[in-house]
Amino acid sequence: MELFLMTLTTGIMVGGIYALVALGWVLIYKCSGVLNLAMGELTLIGAYVTLSFYTAGVPFILSVICTLIIGIVLGILVERIFLDRLIGEPILAVIMVTVGLSFFLKGAIGFIWGTDTMVFTPAIFSLKPFTIGFLKISTVYFWSFILAIVLFLVFVAFFKYTRWGLSMQATADDETAALSLGVSARFVYAAAWAIAFMSAGVGGALLGNINGINISIGYLGLLVLPAVVLGGLNSIPGAVVGGITIGILQNFAGTYLDGFFPGGVKEIFPFAFMAIFLLFMPYGFWGWEKIERM
Amino acid sequence: MTRVWLPCGDYHQYYAEDQGWWQTNVVKGKMIFLLLIVFVIIPLFAQYEIIIDGYWLGVANMIGYTALGALGVQLLIGYAGLITLGHAAFIAVGAYTSTLLILRFPWPQFAIDWGIAYPISIIIAGLVAGLWSVLFGLPSARVKGFYLILTTMAAQFITVDFVLTQYVSKIGGRGQAFSLPPGTIKIGPWFIDTDIKVYFLMIILLTLTVMVMANLLRSRVGRAWIAIRDNDIAAETLGINIVWYKLLNFFVAGFMGGIAGAFWVSNCAALSPEHFPWFWSLWLVGVILIGGGGIDGAIFGSIFMVMVMELLQMAAIPLAEYYPKILFDFAFIKDAAFGLAICAFLIYEPRGISYRWWQIKNYFNLWPFSY
Repeated sequence: MELFLMTLTTGIMVGGIYALVALGWVLIYKCSGVLNLAMGELTLIGAYVTLSFYTAGVPFILSVICTLIIGIVLGILVERIFLDRLIGEPILAVIMVTVGLSFFLKGAIGFIWGTDTMVFTPAIFSLKPFTIGFLKISTVYFWSFILAIVLFLVFVAFFKYTRWGLSMQATADDETAALSLGVSARFVYAAAWAIAFMSAGVGGALLGNINGINISIGYLGLLVLPAVVLGGLNSIPGAVVGGITIGILQNFAGTYLDGFFPGGVKEIFPFAFMAIFLLFMPYGFWGWEKIERM
Repeated sequence: MTRVWLPCGDYHQYYAEDQGWWQTNVVKGKMIFLLLIVFVIIPLFAQYEIIIDGYWLGVANMIGYTALGALGVQLLIGYAGLITLGHAAFIAVGAYTSTLLILRFPWPQFAIDWGIAYPISIIIAGLVAGLWSVLFGLPSARVKGFYLILTTMAAQFITVDFVLTQYVSKIGGRGQAFSLPPGTIKIGPWFIDTDIKVYFLMIILLTLTVMVMANLLRSRVGRAWIAIRDNDIAAETLGINIVWYKLLNFFVAGFMGGIAGAFWVSNCAALSPEHFPWFWSLWLVGVILIGGGGIDGAIFGSIFMVMVMELLQMAAIPLAEYYPKILFDFAFIKDAAFGLAICAFLIYEPRGISYRWWQIKNYFNLWPFSY
């Protein structure tokens, strides 16, 4: 029972980070219809940028804020250079541009930071877990979860209460109507990519705190795909639920299935789950159902 | 539209002629010339080391392997609209089936003496990879587009990162890799142990695959695939069984992937799951995007990508004198160059090299009196 509860809490907390990354993904899809396969690399970039700032002596919170600013710049650049020209192209072209982008970014990251695993030194969070009741919670997970949730709320507030956020919502809802009301669609696309870079970057920085930073963080960023499929591609609450569910499922698979299938069941279980889930509910729990008889 | 340019005043009398492979004598001559080059001239040059030495023969084998894989991807993406990002999984299944059959199957003595073990294993590898591909193609009955991409990605992770790495690689207690010492692979009286023999195996397999694929595409099956790609709902109203044809497409593409994998076995000394990363699936899709549509697109793309990477490497070697880290980091440069190439082609040349080739041919067909 204790093992069960601990797995559950760890799952929820890691899932919180996935949810943050998934938010960025869903936002890009909602606003511009781009299915982004470069999310893993966005996560990696965030992790490495934060690490670089932190190693240079900037306090952690400040380095996260610097990462956010760099994320905005990179997001706008990427959108302007690569994706702006492909609006309205077939789905394969757009997806493959994001794949090309992911290769480019991966190459650039490898060139700049190398392949060795790097850790935040000195460690930001203490290694000693703290206890609530009988639950032992690792400090890293706890604070990462809190930070992820805070950022998530900031983003949601941004959409609900600011003029820019509202214009993004309008574009996501009906692009033509938004354009006729004077919303600049190009601005919205750029903003969506900027936010995706920001959320993925902070997600990456938090994930990097858990096990150190190397290329495998990029793989964790890919886990956002099962998460968004589960929640439905264009639903922000779906992204939260999906992210947390994937976190929980992954940890349960690691704890309970590892005995039966030794090896990397924890890594591939979300994808196997996604493949089967797609057979039954391709539009996820909250996605828009497009009725297409096949 | 037939892709063959006909001189003014030439008409076909029968549909059979219209569907023919070599419609004019010029086309026939060109194709025979091409076959002559790949089957006779390149091996002869390699034999006497004129221009082509062992290194470039290795590059040619790499091009052939890429083309064999890319043809399967072209069949899925280019002809049936089934976007796949997991084709390396099927290549891996083929490679492992073939290896396991060669190394572990109790072949009767005559099979080893006559050297038919490896050819049989190639065919079985194709069949197994095809069936494995159908298994992951099943969701295509219900989903398409992005969702299919996710399923094929899942195929990649489940097959290579889990089944092959954790279980199949451990058969026989070898740990990570199956070693294939020279002399293991034998076709008829020949041991496939030198680059030139691998080259011949590659070019024969590639020619056969291209022939099979070209024939399939001008048959009922190929027309059904193209109809599904263009509009699946309309195709269904025409009485095409969509699910059956999609699964058939997955099977044929998987079969080709399996053959590619089984071929690759002959070219490497040891087989491990690292030969088939997700990167390789994406690479194959990139190859056909750069190459453009059609069978020639897949081959142009393979030549282009492999050659560009070779040239990059050759450019990197002299630079290493001034900046030694560049050799160590070459894998990253390769990644970045590949990514940029995909993006640049999609943005500036979305129809790929084969379209450009088609334009050049048309220009010279009318040269010097174009309109």
